[in-house]
This record gives sequence, structure tokens and C-alpha cells, in this order.
Amino acid sequence: MIETVPILVTVNGTRHVLDVEPRMHAADLLRGMLGLTGTHVGCEQGVCGMCTILLDGTAVKGCLLLAPQLDGCEVETVEGLATGEELAPLQRAFKEAHALQCGFCTPGFLMAATALERSGRRLTREEIREELSGVLCRCTGYEGIVRAVERRLTGG
Amino acid sequence: MADTLPHVAGAPVGVGTPVTRKEDDRLLRGDGRFTDDVRPADALHMAVGRCPFPHARIAHLDTSAAERLDGVRHILVGADVVAATSVISPLRPTPGTPDLPYYALAPEVCVYEGHAFVSVAATSRHIAEDAIDLVEVEWEPLPHVTDTLAALAPEATVLHPAQLDSNLLSTNPMGPGADAELAAADVIVEDVFRVNRVTGLPMEPRAVVAEWRPGARRLTVHCATQVPHLVRMQLAETLHLDEGEVRVIASDVGGGYGLKLGAYPEDVLACLHSMRLVRPVKWAEDRQEHFRATTHARESVHRFRIAATQTGRILAITDTYAADLGGQYSSFGPAQLSSYTYPGPYRVTAGHVERQVVVTNKTPIGAYRGYGQPEVNFARERLMDRLAREVGIDPLEVRLMNLLTPEELPFTNLSGAIYDSGDYPRCLRMAADAVDYSGHRVRGTVRPDGRRTGIGFSSFIERTGYPSAKFLADRRSRYGTHESLTLRANRTGGIDLFTGVSTMGQGSETTIAQVCAQVHGVDFARITVHAGDTGASPLNTGGFSSRTMIAAAGAVRIAASELRAKTLRIAAYRLAVDPEDLTIDGQVVRLRDDPACAISLAEVHEAAIFGRGIPDEEDPGLEATAHYEPPAAAFAFGSAAAVVTVDPETGDFDVDRFVFVHDSGTVVNPLIVEGQVRGALAQGFGAALGEELRYDRDTGQLVSGSMLDYFAPTAADLPEWELLHTEVASPVTPFGVRGVGETGTIPPAAAIANAICDALSDMNLDITSLPITPESVWRAIAAASAGEGMS
Repeated sequence: MIETVPILVTVNGTRHVLDVEPRMHAADLLRGMLGLTGTHVGCEQGVCGMCTILLDGTAVKGCLLLAPQLDGCEVETVEGLATGEELAPLQRAFKEAHALQCGFCTPGFLMAATALERSGRRLTREEIREELSGVLCRCTGYEGIVRAVERRLTGG
Repeated sequence: MADTLPHVAGAPVGVGTPVTRKEDDRLLRGDGRFTDDVRPADALHMAVGRCPFPHARIAHLDTSAAERLDGVRHILVGADVVAATSVISPLRPTPGTPDLPYYALAPEVCVYEGHAFVSVAATSRHIAEDAIDLVEVEWEPLPHVTDTLAALAPEATVLHPAQLDSNLLSTNPMGPGADAELAAADVIVEDVFRVNRVTGLPMEPRAVVAEWRPGARRLTVHCATQVPHLVRMQLAETLHLDEGEVRVIASDVGGGYGLKLGAYPEDVLACLHSMRLVRPVKWAEDRQEHFRATTHARESVHRFRIAATQTGRILAITDTYAADLGGQYSSFGPAQLSSYTYPGPYRVTAGHVERQVVVTNKTPIGAYRGYGQPEVNFARERLMDRLAREVGIDPLEVRLMNLLTPEELPFTNLSGAIYDSGDYPRCLRMAADAVDYSGHRVRGTVRPDGRRTGIGFSSFIERTGYPSAKFLADRRSRYGTHESLTLRANRTGGIDLFTGVSTMGQGSETTIAQVCAQVHGVDFARITVHAGDTGASPLNTGGFSSRTMIAAAGAVRIAASELRAKTLRIAAYRLAVDPEDLTIDGQVVRLRDDPACAISLAEVHEAAIFGRGIPDEEDPGLEATAHYEPPAAAFAFGSAAAVVTVDPETGDFDVDRFVFVHDSGTVVNPLIVEGQVRGALAQGFGAALGEELRYDRDTGQLVSGSMLDYFAPTAADLPEWELLHTEVASPVTPFGVRGVGETGTIPPAAAIANAICDALSDMNLDITSLPITPESVWRAIAAASAGEGMS
């Protein structure tokens, strides 16, 4: 039998006590053990950014973290952004700017942009493009995403 | 169409409304249902073993150690697959070619790196992958060939000796010929253009979940595909099942771009495991596999030629090209549209084209956004600039002189393609004006800092949709051109819309519903779209070839009209008025002249569904299914202009501006059309400026087969694009729509190359291969300088 490691992790405000395989990565834990399939897996080598989550408030790539590293941490995923039926302002901005097409990368961009938004920094368009370059999109050409984030960061 | 504002909630929605998408809320909440999100509690997990060599014989294969691993439930090797299945049949075989049958696992010889030869189903993905590592294989490497032209050399190893006596799969000569014109031409410009092997790289890798219930004889397959009904056909054939026993579901697909067209070997393998084990079996492709096992695209070598008069008038265009197949077929095989669109938007009446399909030891080629059109556009538009240079006329003028005018359309091109309508010169002039081309000509190319600035153009057409079902049948394609859908009234007053077109980002849930709302009158918000399930949609074709809206708009128009008519008849009966006097307004049916005289749609629907309170002559129920085959393909068109600055010593360059002028006919949703254009441009820029699946010639290994090694543009890598458009309604499609999904991939490479060559026009350099990188520009500068030194 493969040995497991006990961890305590808080995800979107809910505490979970879990026994995890040491080789499991964080995105697989969220998807496979907690059913939070909004966090996607695209490359498992830390390039594409599909699995971007917030770890104690910082945007990180879930495929580069092993599940045991989540012990004692607060994780936020795309499922935690909306309040009930109400989309978060950033999610609404994405919708209005047509910032998503197939939607596979959208959770990654939303989490990366949530971290940006919370930082309170005012960024130029070019800086937004740089900040978002850790998440890939093949549908939109990024313009809608940049517009949505721009609107949020300038109080729109 | 910069920064289109979305539609205001509550206002009517129809064709042309920039309404936000129906798809968005679930995707924004992380509540999309992609295939890997389907997680049956008792699922087993599949992993696939792949050949590490470009060409090798399996001398010995031993799975016993893998079988002994705890958690391993079932292993398949090539012989098992041969015994249990038929070969996978391509959906769009290259015309005139022998079949190159392939099984889901290589029985004996692997013909590319990544070719699957064993698969394992186990209790976890980790264990399945561990088991693959325990499979013992003795490989006998065979001579390989990865270069397209080298594969045609007499000494090249023949890769499919049982079916072919060389690696040339087919030639398809077409066209009226051009001997007289070539002999009479004052000027002939020609060159060999190499187009890079790239991939669409959807962010969602492929995935499949198969579940066989032997008692029910039902195989349910969740599959990330653009064509659920066609995959159903292929799986039924391959697995020897009745088509009725197979249900394919593609709910949310994370990008397709042509790569997710048709059944792949892994789809068949997951089904086989499930049928043996009577458990759900799941496979989710990892990215390393994706780069090797999901189709590549574009790679081709074009010998392109333009013959013209001294005044710059085109007399003939010819193209002989080698299109790489890879080691075996995929469902769509190498791109076929180069042969139909090579003359482009110009007045060309003589010429010919020949496609040579070449087998090499690489991943199979398949469809990718553009499907042969970016390739010929690069060659032709580069040569248009060369022609301009040869005859001493400005490249803009040479194009304007040869572009077909609105009065000349419809025009049948050299390959029989009919350009339906449009104003091609206007688009080019708009692009030229937007970049102040005349000012550039006055200012010259040299900037104060020593860098050079240049402007390049690229004019294009795009065939959207297909000419006819017969056109496809003549080419042995195994699908038609129609779209279909079902509209079903429900008791809460809404309409359920069932379509076999899966949702992959193109926004068709929204745009089809927009047409439905306009024709029927029901609130857009009350239309619930059910997409991509073969068990809940009429047999259709699928989402590819920029054809969905062209065909689906016709189908929804027919079905919505039929539903509306019956709704009005029942409402008229209940209101004791004439149906002619009624209209549907959101959630009610009312008198046109008296909104107070109304009945809710919910009441009408319930009456119809229960069969109570309806006219005696009406059947109960309120549902309509329609199939629609468009009468012709519609041609989208446009022109692009690139403004670049280049360092004449290092070859470093920037695309400072890129203006894209296009016409996709009547726009159903401006937000979505803009998104489609921008997305295609991003892929066009990627393929033009950096993406390349490069194989090492000596080892035959793919050297750029990971996200780290393959340049997919990020938000920081792309310039700001300027989009302009015209809107000429197509006379051959419902509502005048043209397809829009692919145009952006077509012109970027040529426009940028032309701009670089313009910037360095005094050096007379040439760019004939893709991708265009600072290094390749530097090499072109060096080559031009060396040529000058010799002369």
C-alpha cells in the first residue's frame, strides 16, 4: 500500500482533514478528493496556468505543489469567487468583456486576476499583460481578458 | 468594432445583438463540465504506452510484470485490438489515395514517436502509469525519415510497404492549366515556401470516459470532441456495435480548433477496456502525450509561381505542394483547402495546383483552423510583393489591379470554388488608409535610430462552410454539410433547444439561440440549450470548417418558424382570434394591436403538451426538428496590413501595428465575432512568429514537444490589433452570414514577412519559410548580403 499523509487544509472557507498520497499534486487533490473541478489541469509542469489557485492569498500553480504542502494553508479556488447566485465583480467584468470562449483557462485567469485586484496596485495595460502572462489562452487573443482586468483595476 | 458594449438586459435579442453569452456563467463559476470533470465513482483509469522512437518494430513485448502490479485490471496490446476491432476510418480521406488502415494500438511497427502500443486500465492513474513503466519492450529501431521532401527521395525507407511503393500517398492535379500563359508571361516570380509544423494546442487536453453496460447494451462515451455524432459513427464501426448502442456526449470542450475532430485511438481503447471490465474507464491526456498523440498541422512545402505581364496583371498562378501526412492518417488528414484557395482573391483564369501527400515518421497531421489557407496565403502574398518589385509597381497597386471587384462576383476560381460576393478592394484600401501607407511611402523606411520601418499587406479569402454534400461525397468524405436541431416547448413557457454542435468556445449556444429568439419571438433568456449529446439531438455534422452558423441558422429558422406557427394557432384557438393577428412577445402570445389580449406561452405550451384545449385538427405536442443544408459555401474575405520596425544588423523586429480588415457577412453577435477574430489572429501570430514542432533530423525526436519548448503566445507577446470590418451580406446563406472562426489565422504571416522585406527593401532580402524569428530575419539578411557579394 502507498503511504498517505494526513493534512488539514481550508478550501474556500471549509476545513478538510484528508489523507493524501505524497505524490499527488494540489490540483489533483482539489479535483479528485474535493470535487472542485473548476481548477483545471493543462500541462502539469507549471507553464500553462490552468491550475492557478490562491494559497494564503498568493496566486500559485496547483500542479507545482504537492498535496502535503497544503497542510495548514488556506486555499481559494474559482468556486469560491461568486456569492450564491451573484457573480463577483471580476467575473461580471469577464462576462461583459467577452473575456472567455471555451472557458477552460478562465478559472486560472480569474484567480491570477483576483490576486492582482486585491493587491490594490494600479497597473498599465502593458503591466496587466505582463502580470497575466503566467496563464495561457488559445481562444481569445487575450484582449477581452486584458480589458476585463483593466476595468476592475481602474475601478470600472 | 473596438470595445463593443454588451447588450442591455431586458431589451430584445436577435441577429446582430451583442448579447453576453449563455455559456459564460457556468464557465466563470468553475461549473463547466469538461470531460475530465466527469468522475464516475467507480471509474478505472487508463494510461497509454508510446513508442519512444520515430520508427521501430516491437521485437518483444512482455506485460507480465505490469499485470502483477496491485491495482492493474486490464492490459491491451496491438494483437488484442486487432482481434476485437476494425481499423479507425478517416472522416475526410485524401481523395484518390489508398487506405492506410490503422488500429488503436500499433500491432507490430510504430511509425512515429508517441505511437501508442499498449494501454493499461487500473484503479488509479498513478498505478496505470506505473504499470506502463513495467511493460518490457525490446525495440528494433528502423530507418526513419522526418523531412517531408527527404521522404520522397528514392533512397527513403518506404514506411507503408504493404500499401505503397513510395512515401507519396497521392497527387491531386487540378485546374485548367497555364502553359500558354506561362509562355506568354513577361514576368514569372516563383519560389519554394516552407510552412512550419504547428499545433492548435487547446488548453484542455483530450479526454474520454467510456462506460459499457452489457445488459442494456449501451456504451456511453463522454469525449472532448467537436463532432459527437461523427465519433459515434466511428466508434460503432470500429467496435462492431450498432450505432444505437453508442451515445457520445461532449458537454463543454476546452478548445478544439480542428484538433478534436473525430475519434482518436484512445477513445477506442477506453471503450475496449470498459467493455472488458464492465466498469467506467477514464483517460485524460497529459500534455507530453498531447504534443505527440494529438494531431499536428500545416507542415507543407509549396512551389508557388505567379506569371504576369510587365504591367503587373496576373496571367496565371500555379502551386505544387507537398503536404506532410505524418506516420499515418488522422480523422481529417492533411489540409485540403490549399488546393481550393491558392489563387486567393485575385482575377486569375489560368493555373493549376497539385497536392502531394507525403508519409513521414512524425505525429499524424490533422485539421487546424485555416486548413490549408494560411499556407497558400503566405506563399502567394509573398510573391505578390516580389511581382510588384519585378515590375516596379507598388505592392498595394499590384494588388488593387488584380483584386476581383464587386461587379465580377460571383466568380468561379481555378478550382471551381465560387466566391459569392464582397468588396475586396475596399478592404485593402481601408487597411492601407489605416496605416497611412501613402505617408509611409513619402517618409521612407529609415528611422532616426537606425532601425527600419516597413509596411506589408496580405489579402485573403476564406472558404466558410462547404459547397454541397455532393462535393464531400465525391471526395469520399464521411459526413454531410447539414446542421439540424430540435426545438421543444416546455411547460414553464420556455424552449429547449437541442443541437449536436458541442460547445467549444465558439459561442454557438448563444448565437443559435439569438436566431431562435428572433424568428420565434420567445425571450432569449427562456431558451435552454442542450448541446453535444447524441442521445438528445438530431443527427448533425458538427462544429468545424467555419460552417456551424451558416448551416445552423437555416435549421433554427425553419424549426422556429414551425414552432411559432403552431403556437400561434393554439393561442388563436384559445383566445378566439385569428392566428394572423397574433405575435409572440417574450413570454406571451398577444394580439399585435392589443397587448392586453394575450395568453402566456406557458399556458399555450401546457395545452399543447397535455393535448387539452387545442384545435381538433392539431396533434398534441409542440416540437419541431429541422435539417438544413446550405446551398453553397460563403467566402469571407479581407486584407491585413502590418507595420514593423526591424534592426537591419541583428534582424530583431517588432510588429508595431497590425490592422485587420475583414468581412464575415451579417454579424449575429458582434462580441462573439470580435472574439473569434482575435483568437484566430493570436494563433496566426503564434504560427507566424515562433510556434514550431521541430524534429531532430538525425534522431527523429520531437524537440519542442512540451509547453516549455513550444512557443504559445502569452498576453505579453502579442501586439494590440486594430480591427475594421465591412458587412456585405452573403446572398447564399441564411441571414447573409459568413463563417468567421478561421480568417484571423490566414494573413498574419505574409503581412509581417512583407513588412519586414519592405523595411529592408534596399537589401532585397526574402523570407520564404516560417516561423519568422529574429534569427531567420538575420539569416535572410546575411543571405541577401552574400548574394549581393557574389553578383
